Amino acid sequence: MAAAPEVSTKKNYLTALKEAIFEEFEAHDDIIAIGEDIGFLGGAFGVTEGLKEKFGSERVIDAPISEAAIVGVACGMCLHGKRALVEMQFIDFISTGFDQIVNMTATYHYRTAGEVSMPMVIRGPAGGYGGGALYHSQMNEAWFANSPGLKIVCPSTPKDAKGLLKAALRDPNPVLVYEMKELYRLRKIEEELETGDAALVPLGKASVRREGEDVTIVSYGNNVYHCLQAAENLEQEGYRAEVIDIRSLVPLDEETIIHSLKKTNRLVVVNEAPRTCGFAGEILARLTEEAFEYLDAPPMRVTRLDTPVPWVKPLELFVLPSADKITEAALRVCKF
Amino acid sequence: MATTEADQRKKKTTSYQHGPYSSKLTPDDYKELLLQLQLARYFDVRLIKEKKRGRLTGTLYSSHNQEAIIVGSLYGLRPYDWISPIHRDMPAFFMKDMKAGWRNPDRVGMSVQQVCCQVWGRVDSPGRARDNWSHIGSREKHIIHSTSMLAGTIPAAAGVVYADRMEGGDAVVLTYNGEGSTAQGVFHEAVNFAAVHKLPVVTIVENNQWAYGTPTYLEYSQEDFARRADGFGIPGLVADGQNVLDVYDKVMEAVAWARAGKGPSIVECKTFRAYGHGDHDDDRAAKYRPTQEVEAGRARDPIAVMKRMMVEQGIISKAEAEKYASEGKGAAEVTNDDFPPEVVQYLNEGIEFAMKSPLPEPEEGGMWVFREGN
Ligand SMILES: Cc1ncc(C[n+]2csc(CCOP(=O)(O)OP(=O)(O)O)c2C)c(N)n1
Ligand SMILES: [Mg+2]
Repeated sequence: MAAAPEVSTKKNYLTALKEAIFEEFEAHDDIIAIGEDIGFLGGAFGVTEGLKEKFGSERVIDAPISEAAIVGVACGMCLHGKRALVEMQFIDFISTGFDQIVNMTATYHYRTAGEVSMPMVIRGPAGGYGGGALYHSQMNEAWFANSPGLKIVCPSTPKDAKGLLKAALRDPNPVLVYEMKELYRLRKIEEELETGDAALVPLGKASVRREGEDVTIVSYGNNVYHCLQAAENLEQEGYRAEVIDIRSLVPLDEETIIHSLKKTNRLVVVNEAPRTCGFAGEILARLTEEAFEYLDAPPMRVTRLDTPVPWVKPLELFVLPSADKITEAALRVCKF
Repeated sequence: MATTEADQRKKKTTSYQHGPYSSKLTPDDYKELLLQLQLARYFDVRLIKEKKRGRLTGTLYSSHNQEAIIVGSLYGLRPYDWISPIHRDMPAFFMKDMKAGWRNPDRVGMSVQQVCCQVWGRVDSPGRARDNWSHIGSREKHIIHSTSMLAGTIPAAAGVVYADRMEGGDAVVLTYNGEGSTAQGVFHEAVNFAAVHKLPVVTIVENNQWAYGTPTYLEYSQEDFARRADGFGIPGLVADGQNVLDVYDKVMEAVAWARAGKGPSIVECKTFRAYGHGDHDDDRAAKYRPTQEVEAGRARDPIAVMKRMMVEQGIISKAEAEKYASEGKGAAEVTNDDFPPEVVQYLNEGIEFAMKSPLPEPEEGGMWVFREGN
């Protein structure tokens, strides 16, 4: 008799998000979910599949196509004491809910001098490298990093996806979760997941994904994998790169980066958002202010060009960061 | 055409065709409504005077001539119903749930002291003077925190009553909007959401004929803004915004509809903006609006309209009606003697309190961006 095939207990990024949502919905009956096609359909990517069946149509709301109403209604729910999980079908569409996020929700705690908090999570598939073209590839996190009152996270692994989403759902502040849709079903990053509190990953803590002494490469999201590949390339050239996945943009764990810079004295920052006023620029500015004395070379950024994200592969890859572009930048910094 | 004796009597006793709600009001209700109209008016003219005396900074958005909308819409609410006022509705913050007693600390509305602290930018404002003018609110008092973003709080109003309904509540929310603001996408997006979910959201459109410097015919292609309702399949009512009883009737009709679980509605109240958009705009408004139009728009002062009905119905005498006569007068022309003493006294208490309240400490500017802990 043939042996039963080994069943993998490893889970993908998308399942991790799903588990986070189901666990938190189970544990806290004050959470509601709202978004387009999240109920009957279970979301465009299936992240909320089964949620409506399990928790009912009152808690899981299939909303009309209006990001402004979705965010604004969620804001009213939070005002009334609920917690809200908002799905953007694609993070690109967040622009039509922009005012409700930055002027209504983000400012609520501030303008009421702490009377009203907004425990709202806005999550959605983001990022390029999938041929999604201009309106299904964006990383627009900088718009929100520039709006005080919002926390922002961007997980790159299934464990972080689950842990950060759970932590976001328990946070009393509005949190934006940039999910990397190209990682949703990527087999090679599947991993075992914890359940319950053990799965939590705190907001504002970076993760050192590879240790090295020669250069610190800071990134988040899908680009972390390009950085890890670049680190392999650099190893061939005799340089050992340390790769830091910040995971959380706001708040930013500067300590972990500075700690690394004290050792490597060299910095490269990578993100797939456009260059001008992108978050990579913010990281670079802060570390230049706070850790200048540890730097032996001018720090560098690798970012998308200042263009939209074009559709067909050669165009898309031309404008986005790649392992090669990161390798090249790191070599320049190392050889300075 | 022959008229019956009954017709004659009706004509004599009232010039207003009562709806089912106002016909049940007692003489005491009438007196209270008149007093509230005078209080709202006094608040307005007093602030203008304070500004002229240099005791006040910040822009004033006058509700002069529009007071019947605030007073009439609030009068039938239950304490736990919610409101979402805008810049033109400043008195609404302290007039909510006034029936529970003007000075009752437990009423579900702000105190006049709190509102005056907000106007003067003092630390005892409900928002600790972090944002200006009408941008305050209170979860405890069921007042949605207003912002500058026109129509921007209607989605939250829908969310509040959605959450309330989930918990078995039956609160209704009144949202106030200028007619110009109904052109905002978010107005339509929020009302559509409320219609789909049959939420008890009553949207009041204060049609004062102008949106800052733009007349209504450049804002909307139909005469009645209430027709905005048709596209959502919800009721759209039109009220005479100069007649507090008509506002009361129409808003109560919409509120009853909402309480019965039938969903949202729009109540357009026809009125006229007496002054500039804000006090900074008074001089220019005098130029961009024809004098004739302004005179016609102010001809039916809501206080005068109410007094006339009360005299007709024998609730007050002609002499009583003439005793405190602020109606038809601008801020520069009225004095405290034109208002009932209880009205003046009430606002004085608010202003005196505000004058003693300190400014917030500068460091507060950096506080409360995030909530710490849970
Ligand atoms: C989103 C937005 N756009 C523009 C403004 C500037 N603004 C403030 S009030 C106003 C006019 C509003 O007119 P209306 O809605 O008719 O209200 P009213 O002032 O006449 O009561 C404008 C254009 C604003 N506050 N918010
Ligand atoms: Mg107007």
